[in-house]
Amino acid sequence: MDEEPERAKRWEGGYERTWEVLKEDESGSLRASVEEILYQAKRKRVMETHGQVRLGMMRHLYVVIDCSRSMEDQDLKPNRLSSTLKLMEAFVDEYFYQNPISQVIKPVCFCETGNPKKHVAALRKAVDTVCAGEPSLYNALSLAVHTLKHMPGHTSREVLIVLSSLTTCDPSNIYELIKTLKSLKVRVSVIGLSAEVRVCTVLTRETGGFYHVILDESHFKELLMLHVKPPPASASSECSLIRMGFPQHCVASLSDQDAKPSFSMSQLDGDSPGLSLSGYFCPQCHAKYTELPVECKVCGLTLVSAPHLARSFHHLFPLQAFTESPVEQHTDRSCQGCQGRLKDRSVFSCPSCFSSFCMDCDLFIHDSLHCCPCCIHGPSVS
Amino acid sequence: MDIIHFSTEDEINLLVIVVDVNPLWWGQQAQREAEFTLSKCLDAVMVMGNSHMAMTRTNKLAVIASHCQDSHFLYPMKNWGSSDGATDDASCSGDGKYELLSVTNNVIAEEMRNIMLKTEIKGNSTATLLAGSLAKALCYIHRVSKELAVGQEMKSRILVVKASEDCALQYMNFMNVIFAAQKQNILIDACVLDSDSGLLQQACDITGGLYLKIPQKVALAQYLLWVFLPDTEQRSQLVLPPPAHVDYRAACFCHQNLIEIGYVCSVCLSIFCKFSPICSTCQ
Repeated sequence: MDEEPERAKRWEGGYERTWEVLKEDESGSLRASVEEILYQAKRKRVMETHGQVRLGMMRHLYVVIDCSRSMEDQDLKPNRLSSTLKLMEAFVDEYFYQNPISQVIKPVCFCETGNPKKHVAALRKAVDTVCAGEPSLYNALSLAVHTLKHMPGHTSREVLIVLSSLTTCDPSNIYELIKTLKSLKVRVSVIGLSAEVRVCTVLTRETGGFYHVILDESHFKELLMLHVKPPPASASSECSLIRMGFPQHCVASLSDQDAKPSFSMSQLDGDSPGLSLSGYFCPQCHAKYTELPVECKVCGLTLVSAPHLARSFHHLFPLQAFTESPVEQHTDRSCQGCQGRLKDRSVFSCPSCFSSFCMDCDLFIHDSLHCCPCCIHGPSVS
Repeated sequence: MDIIHFSTEDEINLLVIVVDVNPLWWGQQAQREAEFTLSKCLDAVMVMGNSHMAMTRTNKLAVIASHCQDSHFLYPMKNWGSSDGATDDASCSGDGKYELLSVTNNVIAEEMRNIMLKTEIKGNSTATLLAGSLAKALCYIHRVSKELAVGQEMKSRILVVKASEDCALQYMNFMNVIFAAQKQNILIDACVLDSDSGLLQQACDITGGLYLKIPQKVALAQYLLWVFLPDTEQRSQLVLPPPAHVDYRAACFCHQNLIEIGYVCSVCLSIFCKFSPICSTCQ
């Protein structure tokens, strides 16, 4: 029997008087407490671990969505399945935006491609799936292992399971499978929709993933978005140079006599509009494609464009968290980013250039911009 | 048949103009061609700003001057203590012009004079660091969009008037700014006066804006009004200059050559032209 970490369950600890967090002011309004809670939530989003951690940029993520009887429960509106699929669409878009050179494979829809639109279309079709029967963790995981074990060693192999039922019907011993997963370095994470299940706790602990149980729909979305960021690479994953092609976008104009319209390779999937004059030509075999990133079907070369790689750079060089200080210490009352007045309780300063920013700018800079507007005025940039 | 959309009272159009005022480049320019100087360029920008505000009452404007080491907001000014300058005597222009336009012009000219007098020039590079100005523009747009009343929508775009060459050091910051703009659906248009800029071409391509290198600098006002004044919905009805062909090939880290097939490190994403067992950036 493996040892469990000493972690007290909620009912084992003392009483927590959660009602004391909210305090009324003289007029009886809770506004100050609510603002305080919102402020803490905003700050939590910015507080992340910063450091030069090696991240797994090329990810193969296998998503398993439970389609058993418990998914028809209506505690998430309209029912758990529709809610999950809708959040999955947003997840897929965000995932491909942040990790342009990764793959997502969904056994519910069996659709393996780097193109997010196909995933979204397949997800929409899956809404009509009838939910019946019992889920089987063992079968889902063995299917995932079957595909993931052939993936090259330098990519990160991940499985994300959305499990709504409290039981699992396995044909064989799941603990053996967990040992296999650990040896293959597959990281399994589970998002539970009902309650904590012990086999999932063991599974995620052994393979190094995360296990969370949702509180409500917005918490579900937050948990899904946790998986968009690349996970730290395990120390034993091989680092190697992968051969990739950077095709040019060729647009032949209609007035050019020699321009010949041609079919693109996405015709093989059956959903291309037909002949076209423009496209990306693989530098090795000159097969034509309409979109990037894609793996060339003829010669197997991965085709990407430079901005796709540039999208992942901010994971490698994360922006430092800004230092917080009370607003009274600053004589200059304007935010250096947006030129607005500093009206929040605290002011955030960049540790390198000491410019001050308001809270909204701080959030915007850390979420979307990933660089300090004042630091990048200097010529020495990384 | 296309339907022409009229902007409603609830839709605000914000235009942020980023002007490159690198004094070294403009100084050399004044010696090369005396008919087109920085003041003429600013006149054209003011005409563009006035026209934008005159199109609809709800249009908004901001102008940023991008200097060698810093960027300054020329308009609007940070004057929240006093009223918004409408009671200022100097703004009552005798020629019956719409007061907001004359206030705008005066403020821009005044701030420009202040910047030119006060800023110290360090170094002698003629390359301007546009990424910082674009980042500040994005922060400003983000703030204004938070301050909207309920029910109002805002569409924003950034117009860059670029004079000097690109600075190759800021590629990564520039790309971060471009992706942030694309996420917020903000268009970046570019009007280039002298040398072609690969970074701005990529910015316009990724965000969906227009890139134009104007053949005659003295006609700047004409090009600004013809090409860059209409907003996104109206652009589909007009015949505008065709998009430039953007070279998206990557440059290898060892020789800075553009390559079509390369080797990418799986951990740090550096690009090399020849295979080697150990990545030189991260090992």
